[in-house]
Order: sequence, then C-alpha cells, then structure tokens
Amino acid sequence: MRVNWKPFVLSLAVLLILFPFVYLVFLSLASEWRFPEVWPSYLGLKNWVTVFGSETGLLRSFFSSLLISLSVAVFSTASGFMISKAVFYHPKKRTLTLLAYFPYILAPVVFAACLSFFFLKMGLFGNMTGVVVAQFIIAFPYALLFFSSFWNEKVKSYEDLVATLGGNKWQTYTKVVLPLAKGLLMICFFQTFLISWFEYGLTSIIGIGKVQTLTIKVFMFIKEANYYYGALSCCLLIFPPVVLLYFNKRYVFKKLV
Amino acid sequence: MKTKKPNIGIVLFVAIGVVPFAAAFVYALLYSFGIIGVANQGFTLRFWESVLASGTFFKSLGYSVVIALVAVSLSVGGALWVTLKFRRQLEKRILSFVIYLPLAIPGIVTGFFTFQLFSKGGFFARISHKLGFITEASQFPDLVNDGLAVGIILSFITMVMPFFVLLFLNVYKNERIEELSILAQSLGANSRQVVHCVFLPILIRKTWVLIILYFIFLLGAYEVPLILGQESPQMLSVLIIQEIKQYDLDKISEGYVVAVLYTLLVSVAALALFLPKRKRAYAS
Repeated sequence: MRVNWKPFVLSLAVLLILFPFVYLVFLSLASEWRFPEVWPSYLGLKNWVTVFGSETGLLRSFFSSLLISLSVAVFSTASGFMISKAVFYHPKKRTLTLLAYFPYILAPVVFAACLSFFFLKMGLFGNMTGVVVAQFIIAFPYALLFFSSFWNEKVKSYEDLVATLGGNKWQTYTKVVLPLAKGLLMICFFQTFLISWFEYGLTSIIGIGKVQTLTIKVFMFIKEANYYYGALSCCLLIFPPVVLLYFNKRYVFKKLV
Repeated sequence: MKTKKPNIGIVLFVAIGVVPFAAAFVYALLYSFGIIGVANQGFTLRFWESVLASGTFFKSLGYSVVIALVAVSLSVGGALWVTLKFRRQLEKRILSFVIYLPLAIPGIVTGFFTFQLFSKGGFFARISHKLGFITEASQFPDLVNDGLAVGIILSFITMVMPFFVLLFLNVYKNERIEELSILAQSLGANSRQVVHCVFLPILIRKTWVLIILYFIFLLGAYEVPLILGQESPQMLSVLIIQEIKQYDLDKISEGYVVAVLYTLLVSVAALALFLPKRKRAYAS
C-alpha cells in the first residue's frame, strides 16, 4: 500500500510556521532561563506588566513606531499616487521608471549612511522628523512603482470621458480616479506602513539611537543580552502585521506578476 | 507661441526620487577621493588603492554573493517543489492563511529568533543537552556567527521562501498552468515532460526579474548578518557601516569607497534588469 506522505509534510510545515510566534510569546513570558534548563524557572506575565508600567519605554517605542509608520505610509502613498501619474503618462516613462529603481534597489542602511551628512546639515539628525523623511525617501520609489500598472489607457479614457462630459479635474479625481484606485491605495498604504514598521538600519543611522522605534529596541535588548524583553519587543513588532493579514492578505503580500 | 509649463509632477519626482540618490552618491564619491571629510586634505587615490589592495571589498563581495546565491537558489528550488506538490492543499481555508504568516516577520526578528534557536546556549543546544548529545554548551556546533554562514542562510531562506511560494502559486493560477498541463498531457506528454516543458519554463520566465531582485536585496541585507554574521569576512552592508562608523578617519573614507563600489554594482544591475526593451514580465 502506498503511504500518502503529504499530510505529514504539511502538518510539519504548519508547525514550523507557527513555531516562531509561539516561541517568541513563550520567551517573552519567561525569566531566568539559563542553559541547560529546557523549561524556564519563571513563566508569567512579569515582563509584560513591567512593559505596561513603561519602565523600559517599550510602550513609548510602540507608539513612536506607529506614528512614524503611519506618517511614512500617508505621505508616500499620497505622493506616490499623484506623482506616478505624471511619470507613467510621460513620453520618457521608461527612463523615469529606471531612475526610480536606483533608490529602490539600494540597501536602505547604505543609502542612509551616505545621506546622513545632509540630514545633519538640515537639522534632521537624531529626531523623529528626520527618521520620517529618511523612511519616506525609501518608501516613495516603492509607492511610485506600485502604481505603474494603474495609469493605463483605460483610466486615461475614463478621464477623457469625464472631461468630454464637462467634468472638472476635481470631479475626475473624486468621482472616477480615486474610486477606481481605492483598493490599490489601501494596499500601498499598508505595504509602505510595513516598510517603515520593519525598518532598522536606516532608522539606526538617522535616529542615532535617540529615536527608539521597536526595531531599535529589539537590537538594543539583543546587545544587552536581555532576550526576554527582546522577545517581547518582537511580539509587539510582529502581531500588528498578523492582524493586517487576518483582515486582508493582500495588505501584506501584493500580487507582483 | 505656446510656452511649455514645467510638469510639477516630474519636478517633484526628481526632487524626491532622484536628487537624494544622486546627492548620496556624489557625497560618497567625493569622500572616497578625499575631497571632503573631516581630516581629508584634497584629492587623493590612496583610499581607493588601500581598499583595492587589501582585498576587503572583494572578500566581502564574494562572501555576500555566495550567501545570497545559495539562499535564493534554495528558496526558489524549495518554493517550486512546494508549489508543484502542494498547490491544491495550500488553497484550503486555514492553510491559505497560515502560509502568509511568515511575511509578518521582519529581518531583525528572524535574526533574533535564529540566534535563540541555534546559538550555543539556545533552544536546540538545551534539547541536545537533555538528550545527552552534548554535556557542555561549547560542544554544540557553530551554527550562528559561524564561518559557513549557516545561520544567515537559514534566516534568509525562512524570509524569502514563503514569498516565492505565494508568488509561484499566484503565477500558477494567473498563467493557467493547470489547464496547459492538462493540454500537454492530452497531447501525450508524461508528468516529467509537463514539469520540464510547461511548469518550470512558465514560472521561471514570469518571475526571473523578481528572483534577481531578491538576490540583490539579500546582497545588501543588513539586520540578519549584523546579528548572525562573524567578524571577518562580513556581508557588504555590515562592512560599509562598520567602516563609516569607525573612529579611525582613514577608515571612514575607505568605507565610502566600498559604498561607492556597492552602489555602482547595484546601479549596473538595475540598468541591466530594467533598461532593455522587452515585453513586461514583471508588472507592479
């Protein structure tokens, strides 16, 4: 008899996928877990209570990250959408698209290291505004390229039709273009939110440790060998995207092909 | 005569999308030649000569290329296998949600988690001790901060493979590979021929630009090699930042030399990928 091995492999895969989430929550509840103990000597809500008591500033970091990511998502989605129209209706759109790929493809941390001088001169070094501006610079090309397929002949024809029927620019946007782009705008908003939410290297360079987002906190706890708080920060970092996934998978994964 | 109004959209595009990149590149270039910089005294080639002679850049580049290549090859290979064998099961309700979950984990968390599992005092070392395979933590094999970059490659695979599984499942559906496979079979092809002549060529042809893009992203990855890498050689981004942040002022200029070389490398890659006029296989 032939054994069907697929259910076993699939069950194993599901366990492997869920394991990091379970392990990180477990580690965030643990304390004084020394080698070679397989089970921690303390397991409880102590770490979480401390965090909510704001002793380590983790809650503050959570809200700083949220504010930075929301700002980056709003600015990059809005500007990406508006500017992409000019780019993708332009006769030289291939050259312009190519130019957008350069910052998109470069490692953000290297980009930030080379830009840090200008941020210093503009007074944007080591503060939240600087981090938002820097993250916006890397999220903008993504948002711009995201809308490349939206500005096609069909949308152009709709715009022409509204103009022929006497509609003005405002009506073209509010009655036709924005309703058509609503779904894509939502996806782009959440994708750029996640680019910012997950960013570490660039934030550490421009924020110079003064802007403590959650990713900065995770790394700080790793360096201090405080793995329990590190795991707790990881939980705060990964559960918002899981919630987004629950509502709509497309917020986290965009169909690219 | 009609005067041409400047296109405000294009002006903004250049200001946000082009100027920062150009400024960053020119700054790094000038610094690398000693024209600007705290202790630099004018144009010199000595930082370039020093970097090229020491071989640090080439070692780091080779190391990064091998790691990225191994990680992308294993991820794409694994994702193709999963798509081929499990696509029907992965469309079921719970699994179709679960396979998206790895995308919620950023690089820094993957690095931290891998360290927690595979370090000498980590989860697997404790299990090994309990099972009697080792008696001391030092007996556990080096799987993080190691010369073979096992930890880095493992982290990259767990980050990249889920993305490619989802991508291939999408392409499989959009390109109607199921129908084409049935057609090929009805024309007499066996299952091996269907895989080699229908499944693989369509999936690879539709996604090769993204596969190369992911290779480039991994080449410049920072968080994971920062946590799981070793002292030397280091991956490119870690090397650049380490040099630029040094107190030795000569090293800062050398860091910018590496940054310029890396930027040139990815820019050439972008030109090669997106400049040729071809039918768009990758549409955002």
